[in-house]
Amino acid sequence: MAMSVRDWAARFSEASDRDPAIAAMARHFTCVYLWDMGAVQVIVRMVDGLVHEINIAPGPLDSYDFALRASPETWREFARRVPAPMYHGIWSASFRRDLKLEGNLLVLMQNLRNFTIQFELLRKVGVPV
Amino acid sequence: MAKHSPVIGRYVTIEVDGCEYKVFYLRNGSGTPLVCQHTAGCHNHQWRDLLEDPEITANYDVIAYDLARHGKSDPPLNKEWWKEEYRLTAEHYMNFILAFCDALDLEDPIFMGSSFGGNVALQLALHHPDRFRAVIPVEAAEHAPGFFLEWWRHPHANAAQVCASGVWDLMAPQSPDRDRWLTWHYYTQGSEVFQGDLYFYSVDHDLRGRLGDIDTGRCPVIMMTGTYDYLTPPEATENTARQIPGGIYIEMEDIGHFPMSENYPVFSVYLKEALRLIEERR
Repeated sequence: MAMSVRDWAARFSEASDRDPAIAAMARHFTCVYLWDMGAVQVIVRMVDGLVHEINIAPGPLDSYDFALRASPETWREFARRVPAPMYHGIWSASFRRDLKLEGNLLVLMQNLRNFTIQFELLRKVGVPV
Repeated sequence: MAKHSPVIGRYVTIEVDGCEYKVFYLRNGSGTPLVCQHTAGCHNHQWRDLLEDPEITANYDVIAYDLARHGKSDPPLNKEWWKEEYRLTAEHYMNFILAFCDALDLEDPIFMGSSFGGNVALQLALHHPDRFRAVIPVEAAEHAPGFFLEWWRHPHANAAQVCASGVWDLMAPQSPDRDRWLTWHYYTQGSEVFQGDLYFYSVDHDLRGRLGDIDTGRCPVIMMTGTYDYLTPPEATENTARQIPGGIYIEMEDIGHFPMSENYPVFSVYLKEALRLIEERR
C-alpha cells in the first residue's frame, strides 16, 4: 500500500533539505513545480534550495512554473532503488515512456542541476501512488 | 613520490577544408593504432581509463584527440569563427579525422567513437573503408534525430548546467557516482559547441537506406550500445547493425551512452570482445 501523500511530503522535504549535493549549490534554486502522478498531485515550492512548501491538495487555480505528468505506474518505476532502463530520468522517460514535461520549461532548464538530483531522491523516498 | 601517468599529451597542427587546427591528443601504448573520438560537447578525458589500461596498451597504440573547438583543441586559428554559427557536417568531421590520422602517420588504425563519434564511425566505414582496419561505433545508429535543441545554449539558462545535467540520465544509475560526476564535469566545459555538434548527430548524419553499401570485408563494423541509452536505444543500434552486411552488434548491460567514461570496468569487457573479433578477421 502506498504511503499517504502527507507522509510522503514530509519525507521528501527532509530528504531534499538534507541532500549535500543540492546544498552544495542551493542558492537561486527557486521554482514551483507540479508532479502529476494520476490519483495524486503535488505542487512543490522551492526557495533558495530548500522546500518552502508542498501543496498536497492543489486547487484548479493554483499556479506553478512547470509540470511533470505521468501514469502512477511510471512514477512507481521512478521510485525503484535501481530504475529499469528508460525510467531512470526525466529525459529518458519523456523520450521513451509516458512522461510529459509541460509549462515554462525555461524554468526547469534554469534549475536543471538541482531538480535532477531532487527527482532521483524518489529512489530513496518512494512515491505516494 | 610523484605518481606520473604513462599517458603523454601533444599538439599537432593540421589543415582541414581550409581550416588550420592545432589539435591536442593523448596517447599511450604500442601496437595497432586505436583512435578514439569523444562524445558531442565533450573532450578526450572521457577515455582516461582506457588510456591507462595496461591490458589494452600492451597491444594497442591508444590515441584520444580533442576534436577542433573541444577541450584543448582550439577553433580554427585562421578564421573569424566567432562570426558564424558552428554546425558540424559529416564531410568536415570525416576530413578532420583523416587529416589527423595522416598527420600522425597511422597505419591501418582502428577507429572508435561514442555517440556522435559512433555515428561518424559509420560514415567512415561507408565512405573511407580502406583507411581503417575496422570501426567500433559505440552508442550509434543510422539516424539519431531529436537532440538538436535550442536549450543547449539558451542565453536565459546556465548552459553549462543544462548540458551537463541534460545528459545526466544518458548514464546508467548503476555507474559509479565518481565517474558520472566526472562526466558531468566534462559536460559543463563544452556547452558552446554541444548544439553545433548535435547538428551532425541529429540532422546531417542520416544513413537510412545506405547501410547496405558498407563493405565490412574492407572495414569490419562492430557496434556496441548500452541498455540505459535512451537516445540511441539498443534496438536502434541492433536495427542498424542488422542492415550492414556482416555488421556485428554487441549489447552492453547496465551501462549508458558514455560507457567509457561512466563505467570503464564494465565497458572494457565489451571492448576487449570487440577487439578480439577484429583480430580474428585479420
